[in-house]
Amino acid sequence: MPRYGIAIDTTKCIGCHACRVACQNQNELRFNEAYNWIKSKDRGRFPSYGAEFIPVQCNHCENPPCQRVCPTGATYTTPEGVVLVNPKTCVGCKYCMEACPYKVRIIKHHEGIVEKCRFCIELVREGGTPACVSTCPTQVRIFGDLDDPNSDISKFIAQHRAQPLRPDLDTRPKIFYKRS
Amino acid sequence: MVESAWGWLIIAYLFLAGAGSGAFIAAVACELLAPDWSKALARAGSLAAGPLVAVGTACLVLDLEAGFWEPWRQIYLVGNLRSMISWGVIILSFFIPLAFLYAAALNEITVVGKIAKKYVLFIEIVGSLLAVATATYTGVLIAVVNGVPFWNTPLMPVLFLASAMSTGLAVAMIGAAIIDITTVKTLSNFALGHVIFLAVEALVLMLFVFMSLTRSTEAALSAGILISGVLSPYFWGLVVILGIVVPFILSIIEYYEYGEMPKYLVVGADLLVLIGGMSLRALIIFSGAPPQII
Repeated sequence: MPRYGIAIDTTKCIGCHACRVACQNQNELRFNEAYNWIKSKDRGRFPSYGAEFIPVQCNHCENPPCQRVCPTGATYTTPEGVVLVNPKTCVGCKYCMEACPYKVRIIKHHEGIVEKCRFCIELVREGGTPACVSTCPTQVRIFGDLDDPNSDISKFIAQHRAQPLRPDLDTRPKIFYKRS
Repeated sequence: MVESAWGWLIIAYLFLAGAGSGAFIAAVACELLAPDWSKALARAGSLAAGPLVAVGTACLVLDLEAGFWEPWRQIYLVGNLRSMISWGVIILSFFIPLAFLYAAALNEITVVGKIAKKYVLFIEIVGSLLAVATATYTGVLIAVVNGVPFWNTPLMPVLFLASAMSTGLAVAMIGAAIIDITTVKTLSNFALGHVIFLAVEALVLMLFVFMSLTRSTEAALSAGILISGVLSPYFWGLVVILGIVVPFILSIIEYYEYGEMPKYLVVGADLLVLIGGMSLRALIIFSGAPPQII
């Protein structure tokens, strides 16, 4: 069984938000709902100044705090290591939103349930890649199997020593960033 | 102020559950330890405990979204014993009926109360344990959250328990004054309780804020919002001065003046403790900053 992850090269990100729109389209989200965001961080001072764009979405942690606190067990991890929410058992208590250190979960008020990035699991199981990955014009994201040492993502992580966001929180995220 | 997934309904729940379980403990303490003149306070505390916690739980249910519109989903709420909400559901579903039963027993309401009166000691022992569990669990609920470093400390349940004790006693004293206004004089006997509980609460709050300042960047940010940031007027005004210092001083005067203090000051001090307790919960929820991830 593969163990899916995404590697993100922030040095390539131009902040165009195509990933967000593709995701909204794929998951039939409303205009004010999103499963991924582009955060920006100022680097340096004028004249050697740059803005770093950091795409953020659910990290599909191997030690997910959201899954631990979910009272109904609606949040679960699939065999591929993808953290999902069962829309039939979620009660909308929002405890997972408080527990998530990355604050990447949203409450869909019209359905009353919490949702988040799902790694486009239906597309992936049919052999495709998540919408944010395939739509990116500058190919910021690499999707693949973290357990396969010959996959593009594993090679990228090894070559650039890509790190997850806040590894010190010990949630063991599966999204890795090349920051500079 | 920080964006939080939880709002006023959860804050009201945290406060009401604390005040209700505190009132239960105050009632049991009076019933078991104090002589006859404190019976009004025991009765008031027992009458308030059940309804307060029940209304708090109603707030909790109102805050659910799918679980509110499709209530049968709530059956899943005990599905994960690693979640504090599952434990909370179990604790509350035992404590609320027991609190109502205790009120019925002490006030001899209907035939149920008469039967329950025979087992009153059993209700008191089990009920007190559940009351402490309820008050503590409201703190643990937010203390186990990784997503907000400010809350993520073992001092959180201690602070909430201390606040539950002082607000519970305040509820019981206000209730006693409502049931029997002539009892206001005897309420001075309990002023010492307020002095002790408020002192403990102030101490724990001070520890909590001081330790947060050095615990992590985010906890320090949250503590900064409280003591010198946008929420500082509310923190110093509502929690520290109105909620702790003023009732503390009034309670000391009340204790030494013994029964000579005007009624409105006695009840006023208790109301201030309640305002402080509610504000404390609100400010802790609204100042919780998430980790800086980028």
